[in-house]
Amino acid sequence: MTLAERPQLFDEAFLRRLEQLELASRRLTAGRMKGERRSIRRGQSVEFADYRNYTHGDDLRQLDWNVYARLEKLFVKLFVEEEDVTVHVLVDASRSMDFGEPNKLDFARRAAAALAYLGLAHLDRVSVAFLADGRASGLRPLRGKARVFEVFRFLSEPRSARLTGLAAAARDYAGRMRGTGPLILLSDLMDPGYLDALRDLAGTRCQLSVLHVLAPEELDPEVPPDARLVDNETGQGIEVTGDDDLVGRYRSRLADWQAEISAFCARRGGAYVAVPSDVELTDLLFDVLRRRRVVQ
Amino acid sequence: MIVPLALLGLASLPIIIAFYMLRLRRRDVPVGSTFLWQQLVRDVEANAPWQRLRFSWLLVVQLLIAGLLVVAAARPFLSVQSELAANVVLIVDTSASMGAVDPEGERIAAARSAARKVIGQLPVGGRVTVVAADQSAHVLVSETDDRAAALAAVDGITATQLPGDLTDAFALASALAARDADSSVVVVTDATADRLPSLGIGAPIQVERVGRGNRNQAIAALSVMRRAGGAQLDLFVAVSNASSADATRRLEIYADGALVDARDMSVPAGQRSEALVSTVPSAAGVIEARLAGSDQLTVDDRAFALVPQAGAVRALLVSEGNSYLESALALLPRLELYAIAPDGMADALAAADKDGTPYGLLIFDRYVPPKPPRVPTLYVAPTSDGPFGTLGKAVEGPLVGPTDPDDPLLRFVDLTALHIGRARTVNLKEPMRPVVESTAGTPLLAAGRVDGEPLAVLTFALGESDLPLQVAFPLLVSNLTDFLLPAVDGVLPPSVALGVPIDLALDPSLPSATLVDNGATTAIPLTGGHGTLPGADRVGIRELRDPGGATLGRVAANLFDPAESNIAPGDPRRLVEMGRAGPSDAVAQQPSRAEWWWPLALLGLALLCVEWLLFHRPTRTRLNRILGRGAAAR
Repeated sequence: MTLAERPQLFDEAFLRRLEQLELASRRLTAGRMKGERRSIRRGQSVEFADYRNYTHGDDLRQLDWNVYARLEKLFVKLFVEEEDVTVHVLVDASRSMDFGEPNKLDFARRAAAALAYLGLAHLDRVSVAFLADGRASGLRPLRGKARVFEVFRFLSEPRSARLTGLAAAARDYAGRMRGTGPLILLSDLMDPGYLDALRDLAGTRCQLSVLHVLAPEELDPEVPPDARLVDNETGQGIEVTGDDDLVGRYRSRLADWQAEISAFCARRGGAYVAVPSDVELTDLLFDVLRRRRVVQ
Repeated sequence: MIVPLALLGLASLPIIIAFYMLRLRRRDVPVGSTFLWQQLVRDVEANAPWQRLRFSWLLVVQLLIAGLLVVAAARPFLSVQSELAANVVLIVDTSASMGAVDPEGERIAAARSAARKVIGQLPVGGRVTVVAADQSAHVLVSETDDRAAALAAVDGITATQLPGDLTDAFALASALAARDADSSVVVVTDATADRLPSLGIGAPIQVERVGRGNRNQAIAALSVMRRAGGAQLDLFVAVSNASSADATRRLEIYADGALVDARDMSVPAGQRSEALVSTVPSAAGVIEARLAGSDQLTVDDRAFALVPQAGAVRALLVSEGNSYLESALALLPRLELYAIAPDGMADALAAADKDGTPYGLLIFDRYVPPKPPRVPTLYVAPTSDGPFGTLGKAVEGPLVGPTDPDDPLLRFVDLTALHIGRARTVNLKEPMRPVVESTAGTPLLAAGRVDGEPLAVLTFALGESDLPLQVAFPLLVSNLTDFLLPAVDGVLPPSVALGVPIDLALDPSLPSATLVDNGATTAIPLTGGHGTLPGADRVGIRELRDPGGATLGRVAANLFDPAESNIAPGDPRRLVEMGRAGPSDAVAQQPSRAEWWWPLALLGLALLCVEWLLFHRPTRTRLNRILGRGAAAR
C-alpha cells in the first residue's frame, strides 16, 4: 500500500489541522519567489524595514513625504520582502532503517510526507530525498499544495534494501541542493559517519533538524542469554551473553550517543529530536516537534 | 565422615566449567544495526570451540549447588554412640487410645516421630523390625538394615479403633530376640492399657512414651430392650469420664439417623453416669448414641445398638374361656393370639406344625397337658402336676408377701392391693423360682427355664382374685410375655466388641455370605453353614447377607473399652520390667551414625531457587514488575 493510499493517516481533518502548523525558520533567507516567509531582501510587504537616501531612478511612490516636510531631504521607505524558502526533507533509506516494530522506515516515510505537506501548504518549496548507498536521490524542489501527491508517490515507492553510506549521501545532497531553509533529516544515524553527515548538512546554512528515529526494540532491547545479534544491514553477527549487565551498558551507551548528537546539533543552531517509531504521527507533529520548535 | 563413593559426583564440577568454556550455539537475534553493540560487546571471540573462562556469578552458584548436592548425596554423618542393640524390634502401639489428639498434636504422629528417632539412632549395620500393634501384631518390615524402608513403614502407621493388647507383639518380639543375643525391644506407646502382655521378653525393653492429657469421656454402655410386649423401647446408656475433672457432655440419641433425644450428662471425674431413655420410637431399627462436643478421643464418643425385632409370635390360649386373659394377651402387639378349648388343643398343634407355622407361646388356663410342650409356656391355675412342679393342697385367702421391685417380671407392677380367694400350693421344681409368694411362703407366681424353655406359672385362678381388675394385670401379662419370649435378632448377637470375631452357624446349604461393613463388602466363606465373621475394626453397624442379598443378621460393633477410653499415659516401667533387666554388654555403646545431609540438600535447593530467580531473565523481569507495582501502590 502506498502512502497516498492511506487515507486514515492523511485524512481531510488531519491535513486541515496540519495546515495550521508551519515549519519554523529562525534564519532569514533569500527566496526565489514570492512567499509567506520574511526574506533578507527588501520588498513589497506592509512591514516597514528601513530608510535610505533617494537616488535617481527610485520609485517616487516609495518616498516618505512626511520626512521630507520635516527635514527637506528625500528618503525612500524600505519594506520587508516576503519570499518562499526551500524545505529539505531527507529520509535515511538504509537497510538498518527497515527494521523494528513499527518499522522505522515506514514511520520516517509518513513523517516526511507530513512535513513535506506542511511546507507545500505554506507556499514553500519542498525538496524530498532518500539517502542510501552513498548518494541522495530525490525530487526536484516542488511548490504548491497540488504537488503533494507527487511527494506522496515518491515517498511510498518501494526501496530495495541498501547500505547507508550516510556521510557520502549527505555530502552528495549538500553539494547539489538549491535554496536554503529548514532541513529535516529522518534517520537512525546508525552509520559510522553520522557526525560527518551532520556536519555537511549543517554547513549548508540550512536550519538543521535531526529526527532520530529508533525502534522500541532498540530503545529497550531484550537479548536472550546466549544470542548472536545479526546486523540487518550487513548481515554480520556478534555473539553476546544477554545478561543485565550487557543491557545496562547498552542503554548507557545509547544515552551517551543521543546526548552527543544533541550537543552537536545545539552547537550548530539545529534541533535534535529523539523519535521512537511507535509514537503517533499526530503526537510527533503537534506535540513533540512543536515543543522542540521544529514546527510552530 | 561420608560415603566416599558418592564423591564421584564431584566429577560434575569440571563438566560444568567445561560447559562455560564451550562456545554455545547461540540464537540469532536480528537487530537494525550492530553499530552500538559493537562498541559494547567484549566477548566477541574467534570461531573456536572453546573460549576463555570468565568470572560469572552464575557459574559460582552452579558450582556451589553441584558441590552441595554431591556432598549431601555422600550422606555425611557424625559417628555417635548408640545404646540400641544391633537387632531392634520396634513396636508401635496403634490401639484406639493412640488416636487421641493431645495438646501437642495427634498422639500417633508423636509415636511416628519417636519411632523415626529410634531408627535414626540405630547403630551402624543395625537391623530393625517394625511392628504395629493393636489387638494383634502386624509386621511392617522385618529385620531390615534399609533405614529408608523402615522409615517409610513408620510413616504409614495410623491409629486404629481397636482395643490394645501387646501380647501378640511381645510374643513376636520375643521370638525375634531369641534369634540374636544382641537384641533389644523398643515400644512406642502411651502405656494407657491396664492389661499387660501375658508374657515377657528375654531382651531389654525400652519404652518411648507418648501422649499427654486425659480429657476424655466415653459412651461406656448402650443397650436397648423392648418392654410392654414390644410396644415400648427402653434405652440404657452409660457415659464414663476418664478425665481428672468433672465434665458435662450432651448426649444425643438418634433413631435411624433422626435425633429423638438429647440431654446433658454430668459425669464426675473418674466415674460414670447412666441414663434410661424411653422416648425411642418402637419402630426404630438402629440406635446411635453420640456425645456432642469434643474431647481428646473421638472414637468412643459414638456407639450403636440394634433394636430387637418385634415380629408377631403365634400364641395359643388353651382355655375353657377366660375373657380377662384373652383381653390382656390381645393387647400385646408381639402376639398373634389364638384360643381353643383343651380338647381341641392336640388337633390345633398338629395342624400348626403341618402348616409350618407352629405356635411360639402356649398359655394353659386351668389345664395341664399330659405331655409338656417344647415351647415357652404360661400356666394359669394348673389343675395337675406339670413341668413346673407338683401341686399341693389349696390355700384359702393367701396374703401377698413382700416382692422384689427390681425383678423384671414385676416391673411397674403393684400387687399390694391384690386379694386372692384361693390358691394351690406348688412344690416348684428346679430351676423354677418364686417371683411372688404369700406371707406363708406359698408361691403365687413362679418362673424359670425348664429344659431350656422359659416357663411361668400363676398358682391361682384369675376368677378367684381381683387381679384382672387391677392396673397391674396387663403389666404383669406384658412382663411375663417379655420373659417367655426374649427378643432374638437374626443369626448374630446384637452387639460385639471391636476386634472380636463371631462364629457363624447358618443354613448348611449356604455356600458363602457377604459382610457389609461401612459400605465395604467382604465375602465370608462357609463350610456346612459354619464360618467366622472377622472382628470389626471400626465402630458401626455390620450386616451379614446371603448370596442373594437378603439380610441374615446385623450386629453393632462398639469400642466399650474403659482401658482405651482412659487415655492418660500410663507408667512405662511396667512394660520395661517385662524385659530382661539392664542392657547387655553387647548392646551398650555401639557406634551409630547421625546423618546431617539434609541441611546441605535444603541449602542446595534454596540456592537453586535463588539462581532461578536471579538469572532467569523473564522471571526476574516479572519479579521486578511486581515489586515495582507494589512500591508504586505504596
